[in-house]
Amino acid sequence: MKAKRINGWAIFWGFLAIAYFFLPMYGTLDFSLRMKRGVISLQAYQIIFSDPRFWEGFRYSTLAGLITITISVLIFVPTVYWMYLKVPNARPVVEVITILPFIIPGIVYVFGLIRTFSRPPLQVTLNPLTTDILIVVGYVIISMPYMFRAVDVGMRSIDVRTLTEAAQSLGSNWLQVLAYVILPNLRIAILSGALICFATVMGELILASFLVRPALGPYMQLLGLTKAYEPAALAIISYTLTWFSLGLIQFISRGGATQQVTGR
Amino acid sequence: MSIRFLITLLILASSILTACSSSTPTTAIDWSTVKSAADGGGMDALIAAAKAEGELNVIALPDDWCNYGEMMSVFSAKYGIKVNSINPEAGSADEIQAIRDNKENKGPQAPDVIDIGPAFGPLAKEEGLLAPYKVATWDSIAGVKDPDGYFYTDYNGVLVFEINLDVIKDVPQDWADLLDPKYKGMIALAGDPRSSNQAAQTVYAAALANGGSLDNVQPGLEFFKQLNANGNLLPLIANTGSIAKGETPITFQWNYLALANAESFNGNPPLEIVYPKSVNWGGFYLQAISAYAPHPAAARLWQEFLYSDEGHTIWMKGYCAPARLADMIQRGVVPDDLKAKMPAPDVIKNAVVPNGDQLSAARELIKNQWDSVVGLDIK
Amino acid sequence: MTRRKSGHTHPLIFFMSIIQSLLRTWRKHPLWNWLGLLPFFVFILFFLIIPSLNLFSGAFLNRSGELTLENMAVFRNSNVIKAYISSLQVSFMTAAIGSIFGFFVAYAVTIGNGPRWMRNVIMTFSGLAANFGGVPLAFAFIATLGRTGFITAILKSICFPGSEGVEVCPFNPYDYGFSLYSLTGLVLAYTYFQFPLMVLTITPALEGLKKEWKEASANLGASNWQYWRDVAFPVLTPSILGATLLLFGNAFGAYATAQALTGGSIPLVTIFIGQQIRGDVLGNPHEGYALALGMVVIMAATIVAYTALQRYASRWIRR
Repeated sequence: MKAKRINGWAIFWGFLAIAYFFLPMYGTLDFSLRMKRGVISLQAYQIIFSDPRFWEGFRYSTLAGLITITISVLIFVPTVYWMYLKVPNARPVVEVITILPFIIPGIVYVFGLIRTFSRPPLQVTLNPLTTDILIVVGYVIISMPYMFRAVDVGMRSIDVRTLTEAAQSLGSNWLQVLAYVILPNLRIAILSGALICFATVMGELILASFLVRPALGPYMQLLGLTKAYEPAALAIISYTLTWFSLGLIQFISRGGATQQVTGR
Repeated sequence: MSIRFLITLLILASSILTACSSSTPTTAIDWSTVKSAADGGGMDALIAAAKAEGELNVIALPDDWCNYGEMMSVFSAKYGIKVNSINPEAGSADEIQAIRDNKENKGPQAPDVIDIGPAFGPLAKEEGLLAPYKVATWDSIAGVKDPDGYFYTDYNGVLVFEINLDVIKDVPQDWADLLDPKYKGMIALAGDPRSSNQAAQTVYAAALANGGSLDNVQPGLEFFKQLNANGNLLPLIANTGSIAKGETPITFQWNYLALANAESFNGNPPLEIVYPKSVNWGGFYLQAISAYAPHPAAARLWQEFLYSDEGHTIWMKGYCAPARLADMIQRGVVPDDLKAKMPAPDVIKNAVVPNGDQLSAARELIKNQWDSVVGLDIK
Repeated sequence: MTRRKSGHTHPLIFFMSIIQSLLRTWRKHPLWNWLGLLPFFVFILFFLIIPSLNLFSGAFLNRSGELTLENMAVFRNSNVIKAYISSLQVSFMTAAIGSIFGFFVAYAVTIGNGPRWMRNVIMTFSGLAANFGGVPLAFAFIATLGRTGFITAILKSICFPGSEGVEVCPFNPYDYGFSLYSLTGLVLAYTYFQFPLMVLTITPALEGLKKEWKEASANLGASNWQYWRDVAFPVLTPSILGATLLLFGNAFGAYATAQALTGGSIPLVTIFIGQQIRGDVLGNPHEGYALALGMVVIMAATIVAYTALQRYASRWIRR
């Protein structure tokens, strides 16, 4: 095994990135600790943590995020797989479709979605459960460009045809091939897509606000309207909790996949 | 099948049908057309109908705006009606749009009641988006009231300077003081004047302070152009966070918002509220009920609550001068601590207030000319 | 096949055999495979196409609901043209900066053999930062680089004793014309979510560069630079271009951060659209839809350019 030489440039860029992430956060953190005059105190944080609306928002958004990731994976992985295997000609069409949420300005899409589904014949907004389903679907579409691209890049780097033939020759059906052969090989790709997906959901504002569902975004906005220190604290809290959840996702999906995919 | 059997069947069917239809009360009131509590059978009938509806959808009501947070929770506790707060960040335009968008939607996204700027009342009425209703205390409401009850003044405020005393030691007392170079990079509007009611009215007020009039807003634009040229104006929208941080130590707000900020900051940082002497600019908002309200009875009960002494007192706690203030003071039902929170009666009485047409014209001019005159351009 | 007394085949049986042979050839027909993509297409149709068309059709309607082209007149408005230009400017700049910065960071955590902990930290924070925006991001930058920001404060406090005993503090960026509330500041803020997006998007591609290729090229005597020029970059080009396009679109469609940081002083198309669609009494929602349609056209053109570029670039990849 060759000893890995630490690349000086790598360290430089890495630290630059970390600095860029942290410095603005430090500014917010510093401000959030100054709610009590002249003293560093956690009062702003105490206020947030004791607000039941915060917990409701966090629970709702976390759950919505996980469901969004699941549905995204369930829809996109089979689609991309099928496209690679059987219908390579569909690639341009599918690529254009998945880039559509990008081309269409977010605010237009969200308003279109709300207006289409809040009136007959496709009205789903009368029931909280169906409204929640609508929100999750909206999230899936909004994060589609990222998620799809992640799955696509991942699928590109594994030899789909050979793996499928091998698995099928051993007697698996389609479902088993997808679940036991393809999916594990796409771990890193899905993870990378899931990271963005989850963060998108946690920060999403317009959809939840107009559909009047208790997500974290609207709560943040509500605080920001009239309070000064609490929104800064909330930004830090939501950043930290989201980061923690992402770390958890990363930890759970660890397992030597790096070695398998890249041989590194 | 015999004829007799068929006839029996027919009689049975028709009696079932009439039984079904008679179980729905033929005296059922369609509360969406009721114009006053008396018309609907009295306050008790209204309360019962509202409780039966069980929910109320409000829009654009931040917690600390006129103490609406307390208003909603007291109403909810008193009548057992769940209050859904739609989009607290919404502006008046968003509120009207929400009614337009949700005409066929009876879900929690459709507002029952709205609290809108003066220009939007007549506009919404014209578009048929409002339902007329006169509260029990209608006669004691001072200020703008639609004669048919489509919209009515809810509270008044005055435009003030909000100063962060941690940063500003030499407090400007009037509009002209703002041009002083010692306030370089310290002044910001609390909204985008092209779309925000409050920010547009700030420019409008500046017009009066600089030789303009209610029909001539141009001096206001010129003033801000000067302010920008001197480097005093920041192209940033001031919000509670930036005021507390000291990034926007001088801004312009309705007095009740500035006072609510002062209370929330609690001395950290200390704020000073300056009522500029040269221009006493007044602003008010209008209450209205949506014609497409999913909960018409609850909507009407909400209005009754807002315009009762109890509701008005809650508004006063939020530093807003409610429409029936004069009447309440006269009857002696305002406690001293709340009187202290209100601006001096003269201030409200003598405030300059544009009418709807003037305001619309001014806003149009500001929207079209802000970019070119004030010219906050990309560097 | 049963025969009737007259010797002809029963019509029904004949008909069924035609169906059977049709089905057999149909199943082999490539079109049958497209059915596998049907769930995806249906999902997209209902939840993307229909809602978007619902709104875009408004670009060609007027307030009374009649078909018209009058909303297109909005493109002659000089303010609107300014808005498009500045939107494109901001998007190009932040896409370029974000993609270069992001590429090097992604390189650092994958091929550059950065430490394992750095990789985990950067990946998770990239996920976070890629979607951090709007008012909280603007406030974070204000608290850092604003007039009262902590970095500005640190810089201002670096003082030297000058002539006549007066302290000289030469490092106040605002004395030199820097302002966070300008295009510079906006680019700084946008980069915060652009480069992590690049990191996340390009990392799988960098991971996909097989070690064998580097070894093989080293065996053939190629230097590191030659390897990158002739092997790695050509392979990576489609992914890099695609990722940069993603960044461009991301910036083009954003507005909350710009609104919060510059108060709308930098005109952006998305801010205009928001104002119009949200029903301001002084706005015309149909003009807003027309503006949005303009954005779609621009993005579509960009994607066509990207596809052409990709095809050109892939000529150099010999498979």
